[in-house]
Amino acid sequence: MKLGLVIDLDTCVGCHACATACKEWNGASAISGPLADLEPYGADPSGVWFNRVRHYEVGAFPATKTINFPMSCLHCEDAACVTVCPTGASYKRADGIVLVDQDKCMGCNLCAWACPYGARELDEVSGCMKKCTLCVDRVHDERLPEEERQPACVLACPTHARHFGDFDDPQSKVSQLSAARGGFGLLDELGYKPVNRYLPPRAVPVVAMDPAAPAAAPITPLAALSRLMARARDALSR
Amino acid sequence: MNPAFSVLFFTVLSGAGLGALALIALFDIGAAAGVVAVLMPPRLIALAATIAWLLVAAGLCSSALHLANPKNAWRAWSQWRTSWLSREAVVSLAFMPAAAIYVACWWWDAPPAARAALAVVVLLLAWTTLFCTAMIYASLKPIRQWHTRRVPLNFLLLGHASGALVVVAVLRGHGLAASHWALLAMALFVVAAIGKLEYWRYVRSGQRAVTLEQALGVAHGVRPPAAAGTPPSIMAARLLDAGHSRGTFLTREFVNHVAARRRMWVLAMAWGCGFLLPMIWLAVGLALWQGALLACVACAAGLLAERWLFFADARHTVRLYHGERTT
Repeated sequence: MKLGLVIDLDTCVGCHACATACKEWNGASAISGPLADLEPYGADPSGVWFNRVRHYEVGAFPATKTINFPMSCLHCEDAACVTVCPTGASYKRADGIVLVDQDKCMGCNLCAWACPYGARELDEVSGCMKKCTLCVDRVHDERLPEEERQPACVLACPTHARHFGDFDDPQSKVSQLSAARGGFGLLDELGYKPVNRYLPPRAVPVVAMDPAAPAAAPITPLAALSRLMARARDALSR
Repeated sequence: MNPAFSVLFFTVLSGAGLGALALIALFDIGAAAGVVAVLMPPRLIALAATIAWLLVAAGLCSSALHLANPKNAWRAWSQWRTSWLSREAVVSLAFMPAAAIYVACWWWDAPPAARAALAVVVLLLAWTTLFCTAMIYASLKPIRQWHTRRVPLNFLLLGHASGALVVVAVLRGHGLAASHWALLAMALFVVAAIGKLEYWRYVRSGQRAVTLEQALGVAHGVRPPAAAGTPPSIMAARLLDAGHSRGTFLTREFVNHVAARRRMWVLAMAWGCGFLLPMIWLAVGLALWQGALLACVACAAGLLAERWLFFADARHTVRLYHGERTT
């Protein structure tokens, strides 16, 4: 098994619902929670998050695109964080999920240094390294209805930009999505073989601008008022 | 990277101690084989070896200070098959008692043949420990400034140069000229300086640098169709928002900013105190304990500055995701 996520950069709207749903589920999870928050109501709040969403702009005007970029552990096949761990706290399960045994971690930070993605964060309260568990306490739980056996981030995503499944199965939804849309791994050149796939944003449509086209007619106050009345009528008749 | 002072102290102090013990062991083996002449009083070598052993011990203790959860530190001896940090822990655990017995051999006049046999063990363990320490950094692919063979070379050379300085300081502190050891130390400092220059040249050359666009995988998709007849846009990426209003573990650990002026001062201190002052003292050859102490302190401060730069200049790929253009 090679469990992982497909993250669609084309449909992600950057709402951070995945990140907060993750914090909510895993903060109460027995696997690695609680996820400490330092100064949550103070001037300089910070805390442990398994999933962070960043926002980038790509391209040059007018062909620019905003990319919302959620990042969590990519559950690498060749996970350097596990290799460098001196205590044996970091391990990779047979289903592909990389975890940290909170009872063994000594908080040396070496795994965080070895991870190119910043997927691991030290919990300064417990002194142990924490990371995405791929909701290992949900995805195999047979007491849950089958459609809920998915990571919290996937369930929370309002635009279906996140998909969970087994990349070892070529018929799985994640394998097929990745194959159809050219899914790629982050920093593949480092050779860690990340499992999570990102679906690239689709091309920015190029709008042809004709300098000879006549300018739109100016809107008179009367026309604006009648448009507004029409809108109001529409809204009230619903 | 945010420089962790306990790790800086560890690598500098134990580097010098391991270098000194390796050189003493090497001379011992050479003397037993009849290759080099024994010119030093055994008591002073015993003193130098003791100081070196204490430096390693102090360094190892300091290294434990950066652990967030030290109660699990004993587990660090378990993963020597894969982890360089674990290997270092295992080798240093073997080194400390072996070196302690070796130092005792010098104090209590053990038979030279037995002492030389132990010297072989001490030499190999000291070199392995130094190498393992350096490989902890050199094995990290996300940090191109560390992921190079120049790092273990620098650690070995600087450890031996500063270790030789400790031996010379002990000999001169007792009024000896110690010209052979001073010559050796001088040569080691010159080679170490050349190694460090080569390292900095490599870092500046930007080889194997990763860009923000690579980190985001921009090449995989957002380019507009070429058929539209527009000139190809520059697919540069920039950070709009990091998603968090204040610092995180990631920004504290990886995203450090060093002002150019401050960096220049630290660099000047690394060269001036770490290399220049010890070399001047080695060349001038004053057999006074005050000078010896001063040279050692200057060298330690300089190498701490050098190690601080080693951390501060290391640019982890996580910085790209926080908006930096390149590593």
